[in-house]
Amino acid sequence: MTFKEMNAGVMLLSAVVISVWVLMGAVGDPGATVPEVAARLCWAMLASVAFNIVAMIVFAILVSIAQGQELKDERADERDHAVSARAMRNGYVVASAGGAAAIFLWAFGFDFTVGIYVLFGGLMLAGATDAASRLYYYRIG
Amino acid sequence: MGKGQAAISNTIRVLRFNAGEMTQAALAEKVGVTRQTIVAIEQGRYSPSLEVAFRIAAAFGVPLEQVFQWHGQDQ
Repeated sequence: MTFKEMNAGVMLLSAVVISVWVLMGAVGDPGATVPEVAARLCWAMLASVAFNIVAMIVFAILVSIAQGQELKDERADERDHAVSARAMRNGYVVASAGGAAAIFLWAFGFDFTVGIYVLFGGLMLAGATDAASRLYYYRIG
Repeated sequence: MGKGQAAISNTIRVLRFNAGEMTQAALAEKVGVTRQTIVAIEQGRYSPSLEVAFRIAAAFGVPLEQVFQWHGQDQ
């Protein structure tokens, strides 16, 4: 496993963990106001950053031990740029769909907080799509 | 990537063998890409840019067509 593949795996794991956390919060407190939901999502973003940092360190150590050599990031070459571009394109499509879905929900009179959750969920799903796409393109081509 | 892999084959493995069992890492170093990219090219999972293709040929000191062969459109 390369550093870039591990990075994509950690991003995917982070998106799943944070999404589940936010979803559990939303289900547990359905009557939350907009400021309460916004504050919860702010914490989720901070938690996502912290989770990524800690998970990267932990997984880098674990993968290094498993492979018997230090896992180092290499300078990106043309294939890395191509993989990155294709993965980001996939992520943008999902993010755009999430944004459109949120606007439609507001347009059809749904509660504002529902749209916020859909928007946030769309962005998390876009991140997961980006990470999964990277793994796919690196592994399968 | 992907679309061109069926039509383009390469002889990098043979050329590495003929070059004194040159490692993929050594070739990657000469060409200026990562070892994973050399692995992907060798396995036909990635079609490199023209520049990298020429760099690979230059690393072995052979013409481009001796490294890559195109099998498309009824040659």
